Formats: sequence, structure tokens, C-alpha cells
Amino acid sequence: MTQQPLIQVKNLDLYFGAFHALKNVSVDFNAGELIGLVGDNGAGKTTLIRVLCGIHAPTKGEVFFDGRKVEKFHPKLAIDQGIETIQQSVGLCDNLSIARNFYLGREPVKRILGIPFLDFAKMREKSSRVIRQFGLRENVSADDEVERLSGGERQSVKIGRAVEFKNRVVIMDEPTNHLSVREREHVNELAVQLKEQGLLVIYITHDIFQVHKLADRVVIMENGEKVADASTDSMSAEALEDVIRQGGRVVEKQEAV
Amino acid sequence: MKYLVRSQGFGATVGVIAMLAVFTVIDFSGWWTVQTLSNVTQFTAILALVALGQALVIMTKEIDLSVGSIYGLTGVAFITLEPSLGVPGSLIVALFIAAIAGFVQGTAVVKGELPSMIVTLGGLFAARGIIYVWTGGSVHNFSPDARTHALTRLLGGELFGIAAAIYWVGIISLLLSIMLWGTRFGNRLLATGGSRESAESRGVRTDRVKTAAFVLCSLLAGFAGILTLCNQPQTHVTLGENMELEAISAAVIGGCLLTGGRGSILGVILGALIVVSFRYELIALGAPSSWYITFVGAVLIVAVIFNQKLARFLGHSV
Ligand SMILES: Nc1ncnc2c1ncn2[C@@H]1O[C@H](COP(=O)(O)OP(=O)(O)OP(=O)(O)O)[C@@H](O)[C@H]1O
Ligand SMILES: [Mg+2]
Repeated sequence: MTQQPLIQVKNLDLYFGAFHALKNVSVDFNAGELIGLVGDNGAGKTTLIRVLCGIHAPTKGEVFFDGRKVEKFHPKLAIDQGIETIQQSVGLCDNLSIARNFYLGREPVKRILGIPFLDFAKMREKSSRVIRQFGLRENVSADDEVERLSGGERQSVKIGRAVEFKNRVVIMDEPTNHLSVREREHVNELAVQLKEQGLLVIYITHDIFQVHKLADRVVIMENGEKVADASTDSMSAEALEDVIRQGGRVVEKQEAV
Repeated sequence: MKYLVRSQGFGATVGVIAMLAVFTVIDFSGWWTVQTLSNVTQFTAILALVALGQALVIMTKEIDLSVGSIYGLTGVAFITLEPSLGVPGSLIVALFIAAIAGFVQGTAVVKGELPSMIVTLGGLFAARGIIYVWTGGSVHNFSPDARTHALTRLLGGELFGIAAAIYWVGIISLLLSIMLWGTRFGNRLLATGGSRESAESRGVRTDRVKTAAFVLCSLLAGFAGILTLCNQPQTHVTLGENMELEAISAAVIGGCLLTGGRGSILGVILGALIVVSFRYELIALGAPSSWYITFVGAVLIVAVIFNQKLARFLGHSV
């Protein structure tokens, strides 16, 4: 563990108005690691990763990427650093087609007379090919608006996009939501593959047993605080579940002893 | 046909057909004359330009109430600066003023996180106030030289008996369609209107997109003002008053949803045609001119109901 962490979060505090959503959170994330981020509803998991992907700026504390302090928080900057995120509740524009959503922000262009026009052929072909692997039905075309898709199909668009644009970090916020058994397995395999390719994968889920199987390390959050951070070898899935159920008090006691 | 129904401009297409049918029945000899049609199409072209800019802003889920004043201000600048700068010079400076006005308002909306309704209402009053101060309330004219300048004729003359403004609206609407549906900027503009958070999370600089939409909107309003004055080079302090209401009506009748992210360029032009035709025909039929506003209001409400029903029928969430 002499290598420096790819992402380092130091004493992070975040307020939404008066609400204290993240409380003095410090955590390291290493390249080539699959990290499970777990905790109750409203624990602050999504809020934490939204700082990492540039949506929220912290009120206090620091984030380091590759050893460099992050000064400005914007999704564009995070994406340019190589952080790709499957968001829990945002990420798709209902009024646009699948292909347009897939490439939103990085649209491929074809120059005609030097003017860059959207390369529709590529957008359609590539997006539908990638998304089909994650459960998009054959009778849905890449030109269909996202609005008409089912929950699972919407999720498949987000996952396909992350796979296509994966770079250094892939953050998955409850990626298997709405997915059927087969696609769920596929996504979990994918998470492991990405990690084996040397990427940092942060995987948020409520499926404790699944994440215990997949992850190298699990970070538990409760009420905006990090209450545990342990390798999956050192902690059984049952113990993990206990910690979450009791809001991290078990860990505190253990540490106090 | 299926494509037509699915397009946002469908309501306006039906509206234009119905309107023409009614005008044909009640006033065949008055409506279908070269004079009427050339007047109506000329006014439509001017309003359409303003409404197209408005449509871009509405598609980003904002609104611009200042277009009438910007139209007037740009026109006044164009006419009053001409003696010192010449026609091309004052054209450029006038458009630059319009762009600045759009930039300032757009920046206030995105950086100040203020409602565009309020910011541009301020813009409406501010720009109108500048017009009053600048002109001192008096009327300004082009010199005979400026009237016959090639550029003035290019913008305000006619070709084959058709007013220049109509060619301009043709060219500009074509360019806007290509920009909106065929470029990165267009994709990001539509995404910003559809869901700002989602677009932002994909790395779209939605603040820049919105500011750009406001700038384009003011430029188009200003250009429409210049086209009008090249045709009739005389300014008045009320130039462009109430035009924001007509422009918003035209955009909404044309199928732009105020919920953002959806609209149709052709629909906006047809919407402008409906608004202008009503104004013209009511006056032609001898109705007091004040009735026209009431009619536009009624048409607007019918159009909104129709377009919403259509959108719901197509499964959009509005
Ligand atoms: N934009 C926001 N404004 C105000 N409060 C917010 C905002 N986003 C999240 N919160 C609050 O912050 C807390 C943490 O929310 P967060 O979404 O991070 O939880 P989570 O751990 O991801 O939960 P879940 O498992 O349900 O997704 C919640 O109490 C939530 O109400
Ligand atoms: Mg969450």
C-alpha cells in the first residue's frame, strides 16, 4: 500500500442549507480496487460520490485526485479527469433519443465543408450495440426517446454509457436497480472486469451479500458519517450487515475496547 | 404523416389550415389579394425572427420578455448611429449592442440563479428607457443616401416582388434547424431544456448554453428590428412595444413547450403567421384594433390546450 491513492477524501463536510449531509468524511480510494459503499437510505452515499463526480462542492475539507488537490468542482472537470458515473437519479434527458443521451456532452462529429455535424450513423450504431448487452430490447431503436423506456432500459443506457466512456474511475450508484437477474449478473461481472483492468470502481448498493462477494473493501456510511472501512477478508457479510443494522455502533464499541 | 403528427409543429400546421379556411369563407376577396398577402408575409417574417430567438430560449426552459425592447433599441441604434458610422458600421455596432444585452441578461440568469422572467422584465424596462433617453422621444430618419445604400436594400428591399425579410427568415430558419438538430450545441441546448441536472451531470456547461441562447435571441430580435427599419427607415420610441407578447405567443402556438426541450422551427414560423394574420384580418374587417389582443389571447389559450393534449397523446410528460 505504498502507492498513493487515486482519490483521497480528507475531512469532508457538506451542508445542504442547514442540513449536515456529510460529516468529516475521510476515505482513500485506490486504482485497481473495487470498493463497496453501503449504508442505510439517506446515509449520504450518493452525496459523497456526487462530490467526487463534481456535482456538489464540499463546504469544508479536501479532495485529491492523483495527488493533486481538486480546486473546482464541476462534472465536466471530473469527466475530463477520467471519472465516469452511473448516477442514481439523474443522467438522462427524457426529451432526447437514446443515441443523443448516450453521447450527450461528447457527441461524435463528422465534418462537412469543415463544419462539425453530429455523426448520427455512428451515434445510432455504437450506442445500440453497447446498450443491447445490458438489456435493451431488439424492438427499441436508438432513435426512440428515453421517455418511452422502462426502468431497466433506462438503466441499461446509463450502464452502457459508462462502459463506453470508462477511463480511470467508474462510480456506480445502485447500478442494478430495475435490472433483471441476467443483466444484474452482467453488471456485477462488468464491475469486476473494470477493476481487473486497473480502474477504480466504487459500487454503491443495498445488496450486502453481493457486494461482500465482489468488493475488495467496504466503506459503511451512516447519518453522513463514515462508520467503518474494512477489507472484505477481515469482515464477514453477516458482521457487515450487523454494522449497518445498528448504525455503526458495533464498530465504535469494538474500537473502544 | 406519422412524422408530421409527432413533430411539435403539428398544432400550428392545423391552425394555419383552419385559419386560412375561415378567412377564405368570411373574406375571400379581401384576404386573397397580393397586397394583403405581401403585407402579412412581410410582417410574419419579422415576427418569426423574433419568435425563433424566443423559441431557442424557451427550449432551454427560460423565457425572454425583453425582445420587444431589444428589437426597438437595436433599430434605434442602427438609425441614429448611421450618420457617424455609415450603414455597415452602424449595423455591426447595433447588433453588438443586442448581443451585449442578451449576454448581460443571460449571465444574470445563470450566475445569479435568478428567474429569467424577472431578469428580462427588468431588461424590457431598461432597454425601453434607454430608447426614450437616446431619442429624446423624437423620430429619426435615414438620409436619402443611407436609404439607397446597397446594404439597406439587401436587408429591406425586395426581389421578384418578395420582401427581403422573407428570404432572410428562410435562410436563418434553415441555419437554426441545422444548428438545433445537427450540431453538438443543439443537442446540448435541447438537453439543457429537457433536464438541466442530467445535462450538467454529463459535463454539459448548461450555464454557457443558456447564455448563448439569450445572446442568439437578442441578436435575432435586433436583426428583425434592423430589417424593419431598412424597409421603413423611421424610428419611433414605441418601436417593438408588445412584441415580446406576440413572439412568445407565436413560439407557444408553434409548439414550443414551456417545460423546455421541445419545439419546432417550422411551427414557430407558422405560429407567427397565425398571430400576424389575426391582427391584419381583424383590422381589415373593421374591428377596433384593441380587439386583436383579445383574439391573440384566445388563440394562444386554444393553442396551449391543443399542444398539451397533443404532447400527452404522444406520451410526453408535460
Ligand atoms: N440536493 C439536496 N438538497 C438537500 N438535501 C439533500 C440533497 N441531496 C441529498 N440530500 C439529503 O442528504 C441525505 C443523504 O442523501 P443521499 O442521497 O446521499 O443518501 P443515500 O445514502 O444515497 O441514500 P439511498 O440509499 O436512499 O440512495 C438525505 O437526508 C437527503 O435528504
Ligand atoms: Mg443514493
